[in-house]
Amino acid sequence: MIIGRNVALLLAAACAWSAPAAAAPPDTAPAWGLPELMQALAGVKESKAVFSERKYLHVLRAPADFSGTLSYTAPDHLEKITLRPSRERMVLDGDMVVMENEARSQRRTLKLSAYPAIGAMVEGMRSTLAGDLATLSRFYTVQLNGDEEAWRLVLSPVDSQARAMISEIRIKGSGSRIVSIESIEPDGDRSVMDITEERP
Amino acid sequence: MRARHLLAVSVWLVVLLGCAIIVSRATVAVDITGFLPRDPTPAQRLLAEQLRNGVVARLILVGIEGDDAPHLARISADMTARLRTQPEFASVDNGQLAGLEKDRDLLWRSRYLLSPAVVPGHFSESALRAALQDDLQLLGSPASQMVERTLANDPTGEFLRLLEGMTGRGHPDLQEGVWFSSDGSRALMVLQTHAQGYDGVAQRAVLSRIQAAFSAARQESGSTAARLLMTGPAVFSIETHDIIEHDAMRYSLIAIALVAGLLLALYRSPRMLIIGLLPLATGALVGVAAVALAFDGVVHGVTLGFGPTLIGEGADYAIYLFTQMTVRMPAEDALKRIWPTLRVGVVTSVLGFGALLWSGFPGLAQLGLFSVAGLLAAVLVTRYVLPGWVPRGYAMDAAGVLAPVLETALDRMRVLRWVLIAGTAAAAGFLALRPGAVWNDGLESLSPVPEQARRLDQRLRADMGAPDVRYLAVISAADRDEALAFSERAAEALAPLVAGGALQGYESPSEYLPSLQTQMARRAALPGPEMLRAGLHRAASGLPFQDGLFEPFLKDVETARGQPALDAAALHGTRLGLKTESLLMPHEAGWNAVLPLSGVTDAAAIAAALAAAVPGHAVFMDLRRESDDLFAAYRREIEHYALGGMVLIALFLAAVLRSARRVARVLLPLAAALVLTSAVLLIMSGPFSIFHLIGLLLVVAVGSNYALFFDGQSLAAEGRSRVLASLVFANLATVMGFGILAFSKVPVLHAIGATVGLGALLSLVCSAVLAAGPTAAMTARAA
Repeated sequence: MIIGRNVALLLAAACAWSAPAAAAPPDTAPAWGLPELMQALAGVKESKAVFSERKYLHVLRAPADFSGTLSYTAPDHLEKITLRPSRERMVLDGDMVVMENEARSQRRTLKLSAYPAIGAMVEGMRSTLAGDLATLSRFYTVQLNGDEEAWRLVLSPVDSQARAMISEIRIKGSGSRIVSIESIEPDGDRSVMDITEERP
Repeated sequence: MRARHLLAVSVWLVVLLGCAIIVSRATVAVDITGFLPRDPTPAQRLLAEQLRNGVVARLILVGIEGDDAPHLARISADMTARLRTQPEFASVDNGQLAGLEKDRDLLWRSRYLLSPAVVPGHFSESALRAALQDDLQLLGSPASQMVERTLANDPTGEFLRLLEGMTGRGHPDLQEGVWFSSDGSRALMVLQTHAQGYDGVAQRAVLSRIQAAFSAARQESGSTAARLLMTGPAVFSIETHDIIEHDAMRYSLIAIALVAGLLLALYRSPRMLIIGLLPLATGALVGVAAVALAFDGVVHGVTLGFGPTLIGEGADYAIYLFTQMTVRMPAEDALKRIWPTLRVGVVTSVLGFGALLWSGFPGLAQLGLFSVAGLLAAVLVTRYVLPGWVPRGYAMDAAGVLAPVLETALDRMRVLRWVLIAGTAAAAGFLALRPGAVWNDGLESLSPVPEQARRLDQRLRADMGAPDVRYLAVISAADRDEALAFSERAAEALAPLVAGGALQGYESPSEYLPSLQTQMARRAALPGPEMLRAGLHRAASGLPFQDGLFEPFLKDVETARGQPALDAAALHGTRLGLKTESLLMPHEAGWNAVLPLSGVTDAAAIAAALAAAVPGHAVFMDLRRESDDLFAAYRREIEHYALGGMVLIALFLAAVLRSARRVARVLLPLAAALVLTSAVLLIMSGPFSIFHLIGLLLVVAVGSNYALFFDGQSLAAEGRSRVLASLVFANLATVMGFGILAFSKVPVLHAIGATVGLGALLSLVCSAVLAAGPTAAMTARAA
């Protein structure tokens, strides 16, 4: 269950920054909306970014900070390497998730399809990557605010099991660039991840 | 004469009735105890125990394939739910988390008794600080949500550690919440039965339960394409049984039809055909009854399977008798003519098989007794019961026509004498110098499991990540708790070997249920409330955890300090309990614990480490080598007793025939036939199994009769041609009856069929060429 949320976040992160900034939007886009955004997000084959994440957890007095790198290769390979405060690696490859902690010499592998609730979430995120709004809408209520220069995508899980893990995912972006992902859990815990794309 | 026959028939009927009663009360032992020596070594006893009742023997792997993953998963879940309500199953597993609540609850409540990390110092200030820092790291990891959930009660992560240990071990992938093969084409289940793997009746019921559950679940799921696959020792033993039965039935029917056709053509009387079968039938019944009487009513399946083969000679008696009969030669007179030779022949066979009586293997001793009793009964029926039932004036016309022709033909074969001697010498040389083993003592030489089934087994095992268990560490102890304590010591010794690469892993019952002493030690390692609170306070200072967050932890540890140790009853109804039960078993002198070992690369190191860790109480077992050794010992015993029997036969013949020359004339053809048969079989079908050896025993029994009859001086000259004709008829029947079995693909049937068919034929040829001394032939012709 735990893993599901993080995978979802990871995917969300991938979606967030995958659109190349170089793909400048047309000058006059009279009907910019969700379909256009999705199309732009799906256009990227490969990208790298650094992230810094701040987690507000009810077990902690103060928020905890994490940072590291993200990389994405189309269509479904995602890697999140946390460097601080300690090194940890998570890879999503198709249906497989591998989590590695070298310091503890731990390595866990699992199949997403083993957990239908998580699977649903991941499928939703994957369809975001693919620019498949129809599939995305099956798993999330999708709401788009703002304009092309400063937009905010709010994903609310449709499935009740998924809702038990996560209340909402808020993705902020500008153009086809995504700058932050915020996720909110039902118990009030939340995390904010700022993403900065590495220019090749 | 009539009165005497009446008496004989009465005695026969009474004996038959008595035997029938004894046999009806006997039980058939179908497990491998017949292959166990009477005084087995501890390892052999454990082997038998494992093969009969071990974890391995009661395992059934199930695969469901042929449809899409959602359908397969639904069938798997439905089948699991259905089968879990059936009393036949000790456990039904398909990877679903449902049904694990009890286990989770047990792990959670007893985490401080179960976790191997709980040692003195585990809750010291510095250890707690390290644990809390780990927790902080984990909060940023994918596992954060689970850590958050357990953090307040379990900051040192004992529960997650235990959960990892229980679920993280080589399980297949999950798809749709159930186990799937890695290519996603098969849903997988692991079943453990209560019934022993070799209990054919119970396992058959188990398999039909599985089949029924599958059919119902498939219908429910709406799938039409899904198929059920099953494998495991029980499945094998039943499939094997069915295949043997099917093949045996088919080939027996063909053989019976052929032999009956031959005999009908010769006798031209159905009545004679039936009468002719009485000696063999009586012999078989008396044989079983004798074994049941001598072995406390327990008859081994081996005995029932091979006994009738060994007394196959009994079928020849009637042929010898009937072929002699003419209008002027009624049964009584014909019998008098062949009786002296027949008598010697029976005693020869009895001596040959009788040697087995002294075998240390009950299965072999039973075969010996069966043969001795069966042959004696058969010859007595031939002698006293048969003649009175043969119609007066019966004559076998075919014999009259064919006898002179056959006699001439057989006598002419003597020109082959030097060819045969040269051939035999070459064959003997081949046997002596042949590189490679003559014997194949591997279990698979006995296994009639078809290649296809074996491949399916390998595939499902690979899917499950459950390699065939070949290596075990077996612990013997006085009681259950000692078995657990010894298992802990063995596991401690194995752990560094896993790191060193001598093996990949092991499983110990003590992981699921630690010994009392260990649990007490863990309890004693828990600090008192004041000390823990103070240590925790200092450890958490400067870390961002909420104040008072760990109150539940302090409370849980205090509870654990007063918690009674877990026993088997506490694990009841959980999967951990089942696991423990399957690895712990009582026996007459105490308890055994079994630690399955996987990926063994350095057996010697493991054996040494175990012996050092638990001296005198731990045995490293290579199931495969033990069973191979056992069957090799079994085979060597047959060999030894067969040789002993040959010596007895030679001594007996010397006493009866009173001529070294004649003894040689009887034994040499026999030896030549055995040498030639062995050489041909080795060339044609590779190393021998026990079944070949049993076949050779029958060749000796049948062939010695041929040689004796050929040894002309034991016969009145005028009957010689008919005697020789009767040998040819009997031989034809034997070669047809057994030869047809050689076409079976089942190893046991093929081996016996090929050996006896070829051996009997060569025996007759060798006897004709070597036994019929020139004096005998000339005497015959002069007369």
